[in-house]
Amino acid sequence: MVHPGRRSEVSTPHAEGRARSGTFGIAPSVFAAEAVKLSALRPVTLVLSRELALTALLLLGVSFVVFVILFLAPGDPFSVLLEGQTPSHEARAGVRDALGVPKTWYVQYVSWLGNLLRGNFGTSIRTGLPVFGEIVRVGLSTLYLTLGSMLVTLLIALPIALHSSMRGATPLNRPFTLLAYLVSALPVFWLGYVAIYLFSHKFGVFPLVSAASASADRAWLYSLLPICVLGIGNGTVSEVVRYMREELSRVMAEDYIRTARAKGASVWRHAFKEGLLIPMTEIIASKIPFILGGAVIVEQVFNWPGMGRMAWQAAQDRDFPAIMGIVMIAATLVRLGSLLQRVVYVTVNPRASKQRRGAGWAE
Amino acid sequence: MTRYSQIAGEGRDASDLPVWRSADTLDLAYVGYGLLIVALVLVSYVLGVFNWLPHDPEQIRFDLLNAPPGSAGHLLGTDFLGRDILSRLIVAIQAYFLPGLVAIVISLVVGTTLGALAGYRGGGVEVLVTYFNNLVDSFPRLVLILLVIAAFKADIYYIMIIVGVTGVPVVASLVTGKIAFLRQKHFIEAAHVLGLPSHVIVLKHILWHHCAPLLVIRATIGMGEAILIETSLSYLGFGVQEPMPSWGNMVQAGANYFFQGKFWPSTAPALAILLTILGFHLLGDGLNSILEDRGGK
Repeated sequence: MVHPGRRSEVSTPHAEGRARSGTFGIAPSVFAAEAVKLSALRPVTLVLSRELALTALLLLGVSFVVFVILFLAPGDPFSVLLEGQTPSHEARAGVRDALGVPKTWYVQYVSWLGNLLRGNFGTSIRTGLPVFGEIVRVGLSTLYLTLGSMLVTLLIALPIALHSSMRGATPLNRPFTLLAYLVSALPVFWLGYVAIYLFSHKFGVFPLVSAASASADRAWLYSLLPICVLGIGNGTVSEVVRYMREELSRVMAEDYIRTARAKGASVWRHAFKEGLLIPMTEIIASKIPFILGGAVIVEQVFNWPGMGRMAWQAAQDRDFPAIMGIVMIAATLVRLGSLLQRVVYVTVNPRASKQRRGAGWAE
Repeated sequence: MTRYSQIAGEGRDASDLPVWRSADTLDLAYVGYGLLIVALVLVSYVLGVFNWLPHDPEQIRFDLLNAPPGSAGHLLGTDFLGRDILSRLIVAIQAYFLPGLVAIVISLVVGTTLGALAGYRGGGVEVLVTYFNNLVDSFPRLVLILLVIAAFKADIYYIMIIVGVTGVPVVASLVTGKIAFLRQKHFIEAAHVLGLPSHVIVLKHILWHHCAPLLVIRATIGMGEAILIETSLSYLGFGVQEPMPSWGNMVQAGANYFFQGKFWPSTAPALAILLTILGFHLLGDGLNSILEDRGGK
């Protein structure tokens, strides 16, 4: 039961969150120099170390989820050792004891986690190589693919968002918005086929080799095709457009922009941080999981030697250590992305250190 | 500090008019298209369940391979084994329809519960829910599904449970935000003063009267996401297996012929995916701007 007196202290990140605050008719500007004494701010480093601790806590949770899934999975390596026999419970326990496997699940978890922290992700069942080294090797090419495709997404989405929030209602607005919707609904695998057919078969612009087998000096050129396909087809274009447009229009309607315009100062210099930089990092950070998921498919279509293909192969072979390592690394990338977003946010806007940490941009 | 858009909005309060009269034409068109797609999916699902199809979806005809659309008797042509594409497209809806509903129900029920708890109780509960949201958001959906496939098996319902759980954070934070907004309103305060029990306030006054449109919108967008995941997985070979059709494995099966210039067997299911996902997204967004953004901003 909540009594009215408590209302003042209940403030969710959404109620006072910077992105949504405009909805409530309260002063929406994070940048307006009012109400907060700068001396009351905690130093940026303190805020960032708090973010770092939160990231670590979340990664701990991630490792626990992965452990639970593997723990619940039917069958364990010991069934293989005892294959052909009908092992009694005692026989299984005997093998486990002989191999030094901890009895309780939490001891197992802690020792597993210790191994992870030392970079020991186990050896792949399929290749017999250490998983960690393999992930680092393929992870770099996935990173290249995903970063490149983010750039492509932004190159498509930003002009549309800028156009419609700067110029107001123009005849081009609706076709552009509809185009963004269409592009977001395209199945990326089919888009990949169309791209390969058009550019490799028909026009012969790109030869039909994967980036791995291409000669090193031209490799970057061949990788443009999958990067563009993932950038267009990862399904985030319309959301990036919508979010950027909303934030930009909100900021352009602020009083401080009107003031800047009135005194003849550069509107762009004033709107850049809150209107472009912050929403851009926010939306990109929140879309990293989607783009990594899209990479699984695009790597499959283009035979790209990356993490997604490795994950696919591992799921095919039920290669536990490999897929476990990939999930851990992918989740780490996602968390690093949002940590980076917080760093940008806090350094650009020191007042953020006064606010509670939001749940992130939802939807 | 009132913004100018708000002042302009106050002059013509839309709440007296029926929703569809005050709505933007484009949003109405979006919703109309979306409803059309939903109706088509429903009708096709029923047709598939009762097996009222133009042709047997697994009947192979070697005299009619890769027939173009509009061929005699085959409205959408045939695939590389001469099977009727239209029938296969209709049957393939079964691959995602019920599993997709399961995923939506999971994310709505769990998400609403967590969101209502966090928004209404605040404090420690909210910190926990926020942690849970951030934790679930850390996993790329497709990669997590691949982990579950490797650990258990490629069962569509396991996959849809994961899709449902990964859909929880969005619903939870939407509901939390909505409640945080509503609890400053006088009618909630009045309900407290009247001594109504918390569960009545949360269930009736908040969720039923003010979150229902939000949840319907989320459900349509969630269905679009579930279809995308199902088609992606069956494209990757983990979903429905041949000869059972699914839109994803139809695209995949047609791929070899795609590069020989026989585009249709692969393009037809791809277009079905495109039009359906577009329909669910437009329906969700159209409803959102008609029902949720009305007068508020």
